[in-house]
Amino acid sequence: MPPELSVVLAAVALPFVAAVSTPVLYRLLGERTGYAGVAVALASFLLLASQRGTEGTVGLEWIPSLDVALRFYLDGWGLLFAMLACGIGTLIFLYSPAYMHGEPHLARFYTALLAFMGSIVGVALAADLIAIFLFWELTSLCSFVLIGHYTADDSSQYASRMAMFITVGGGLFLLVGLLLLSVVAGDVVGPDAAFNLAAMLETPEAMAEALREQGLFLPVLGLLAIGAGAKSAQVPLHFWLPNAMAAPTPVSAFLHSATMVKVGVYFIGRMRPILVGEEWLFLFATLGLTTMTVCAIMAVAATDIKELLAYSTASHLGLMVAGFGFTSIYGAETGVFHLLNHALFKAALFLVAGIVAHEAGTRNIDNLGGLRHDLPVTAIITVIVALSMAGIPPFNGFYSKELLFEAAVEASHHHDIGVLGVLYPAVAVFGSVFTVLYSLRFLSLFFGDRPDALGHVHRPSTTLVVAPGVLALLAAAVSIRPQLAVDVIVQSGVDATALEHHEMHVSLPTSYSPPVGMSAVTIAVGLAAYPFYDRIHDGLNATLDAAPPIAANWWYDAIVGGLTGGGAWVGDRIHNGLLRTYATWTLLGTCGLALAGFAAAGTVASSELIGFDAAPAVALVLLVAVVAGLAVALSDSHIAGVLTLSILGFMIAIFYILASAPDLALTQLVVETLVLLIFLLVIEEIPEYYEVSLGKYARDAVVSLAVGATAFITVLVTTDARPEGSTDIARAYAEQAVPEGGGTNIVNVTLVDFRGFDTMGELIVVAMAAISILTLIVMRSGGDDE
Amino acid sequence: MTTVVMRTTARVIVPIILVVSTSLFVEGHNLPGGGFIGGVLTTTAFAIIYLAFGLDFVERGVLGRDVDPGKEPSRDRVVVAYRRLFEYGLAIAVLSGLVPLLFGRPFLTQTFVIFEHVPLYGEIEIASALAFDFGVYCVVVGGLLTILSVVGAE
Repeated sequence: MPPELSVVLAAVALPFVAAVSTPVLYRLLGERTGYAGVAVALASFLLLASQRGTEGTVGLEWIPSLDVALRFYLDGWGLLFAMLACGIGTLIFLYSPAYMHGEPHLARFYTALLAFMGSIVGVALAADLIAIFLFWELTSLCSFVLIGHYTADDSSQYASRMAMFITVGGGLFLLVGLLLLSVVAGDVVGPDAAFNLAAMLETPEAMAEALREQGLFLPVLGLLAIGAGAKSAQVPLHFWLPNAMAAPTPVSAFLHSATMVKVGVYFIGRMRPILVGEEWLFLFATLGLTTMTVCAIMAVAATDIKELLAYSTASHLGLMVAGFGFTSIYGAETGVFHLLNHALFKAALFLVAGIVAHEAGTRNIDNLGGLRHDLPVTAIITVIVALSMAGIPPFNGFYSKELLFEAAVEASHHHDIGVLGVLYPAVAVFGSVFTVLYSLRFLSLFFGDRPDALGHVHRPSTTLVVAPGVLALLAAAVSIRPQLAVDVIVQSGVDATALEHHEMHVSLPTSYSPPVGMSAVTIAVGLAAYPFYDRIHDGLNATLDAAPPIAANWWYDAIVGGLTGGGAWVGDRIHNGLLRTYATWTLLGTCGLALAGFAAAGTVASSELIGFDAAPAVALVLLVAVVAGLAVALSDSHIAGVLTLSILGFMIAIFYILASAPDLALTQLVVETLVLLIFLLVIEEIPEYYEVSLGKYARDAVVSLAVGATAFITVLVTTDARPEGSTDIARAYAEQAVPEGGGTNIVNVTLVDFRGFDTMGELIVVAMAAISILTLIVMRSGGDDE
Repeated sequence: MTTVVMRTTARVIVPIILVVSTSLFVEGHNLPGGGFIGGVLTTTAFAIIYLAFGLDFVERGVLGRDVDPGKEPSRDRVVVAYRRLFEYGLAIAVLSGLVPLLFGRPFLTQTFVIFEHVPLYGEIEIASALAFDFGVYCVVVGGLLTILSVVGAE
């Protein structure tokens, strides 16, 4: 059943419309703007929910002749992701007014949050590669605004810049990957659908085959992996996510656990049918499991509750990536099911962390404990979601982790991957042990003794508790009846990301199997190691302090610092305020690019051109020009130099006349005259003699030789391809000039009649040049006064 | 540069140049010439005036106005006039391109009419392209003179 265009369009457009009208809403509603957001998010959610079970492409024609359309593709996977964004968005908007009470810049906050939600829905549903990229970068942009919410705060600025740098930088890799993909798609699904992802997904095998044939399979896979990995905080680009915790907690819960960071995972799942294979397995299973383990260890080393949750988010993202990395059906089931489970428990955990920080006034793990007396409801919520995060049966996180173990074990059956067949399950278990550890540590905030330093803890307002409560209820529902969640939404998501159809069944295990054993080991070791948590925590931190290069953040600081210093150094050399320096670099750069272009294109001037074949008159004119050129170089005064230079120009004009191009000759003559006059006008201002060092002479000599050589080679190469006789275009112009344009001067008829649009462009160039010079002069005189 | 020889020569050649430039512009459609070349040649005539008589001559000697010496060159009345000229030129070019749209033809479509039995000329051809070319002429003259007078005043 195809989806309804108007419904899909409304679901995507509604958040953006609301985002635009936020300033007005904020005037009317003040801090209650968040509740308007609830309505918008809920409306989008219900609109999307009404499309459940549909599949297909809907589009709005825009420029039909270029096949540009606003196109959306709906299937289980996209719908799951979009509904997740709207559903959790609803709860976040419900939570925000109480949490953000009294904060500044709330209008901007809600605008960015709404635009963000719209772009996530856009990424999930867009069927066009370019649209996906635009929405993708829009999410980065919104997250930049949201992370940097406390604009005056240095750490906030640092974190938002870092997130922008990593995710947008990764997005550029993605863009190149998408463009390469579209090149191949143009051959497979036709040039009309070169950017149509939905069309590509209809013939995944043909796409994969074509990619391999053209040798683009690995480049596309690698580029998309970098883009998705940067967005989803995979090692070694995982460090931006913990830093992004400078954002307000609702943002952390929404962007950094439930939605934006999952866009990378989502995209991996989206591309899975096309790119899945041996390389895919090695790349994503290794990447995901590494991230899962490294970030789980880092979470144990964390001292701040939000930092702990951030590292654990990165770790779980690694789990999903690893899931999609495994090529068996269990892999797809892991990815899709864990995406849902993780969104439910992690968003709730972040909201709980927000409540704790808001009411207790601290986020330091060591200063917190025994909160169950002060926050009883929150404690119940936390028990459900933290045990779910740990993967303890029967909570929902357990089921998807079982699927990962299953997939890891299955990988060695499907593929001949040697020692990795043992290593993958082992690493999965090892990383999960740390997951159990930090989950228990988070839970311990509510149990044990209450530290003396902890002051009075307020009761949170109802709206603060409702949002995590709803998420915990959903998590509990999935825990009790996992098959229900599978039937409602997960199965269709799996069908969209897996190659073959497979009825998915999830339930508590009743007999022994390898995954059950692995889970038992994980939980047992985790529980056994928990009493030594503080020692592990201190040991990890001591190691990190002793060798800072272990931390990825250190590398980021070193690289960005080095680039900043290097950029300043290069800037001082190139932009030093001396016209000569600017000219040198500009000219040498242009020559370098032109020559490199010729070299890359393999253009070689044919040897036939290096001969002499000209009429005596032409030869004479050119000879005079050459002599004049020499005279320019030898002249000892500016006047003589300018006058001899104009001889050169006039000789070229005569050459044009001899080559029967009177219009060109006329233009050359008048322009030459004007240039000569301008020279004479300014010549009095030029000093008679410069003190120039020998080094400068050498530099000038090199520059002039390079420019001369480039010009010479360019003329040789470009005139090499001159066709024999007149071309079709030339003949057409000559034949049409009189009947169509009514003029016998073909050049002019071409300029104003046939190619008027080009002339218009040139006019604008002249006008712009005049305006820029005017502006430059006005600005310079303005600068002198200061 | 403001020598007597230069001034005397300028007095003679500037009118000739202006006439030639006009004829180049008008004949452009059938003979070498056109808006661009005509415009550059007109600018050349002005450049010669500047060279021979100084920058204020056009304002003081030709238009008979007083020149405020302390004024910024970019705010000068003549410069403002030049600036206007290329703005108008651009507008003329665009408008002449828009006219065909009224007749349901694509942007910038040109046409021409030939009048016969005109006294003195015999046959005369009016091309709509002339309006467009006039825009070109104005932009070139206005733009180049703006640059020339502003840079020259420095």
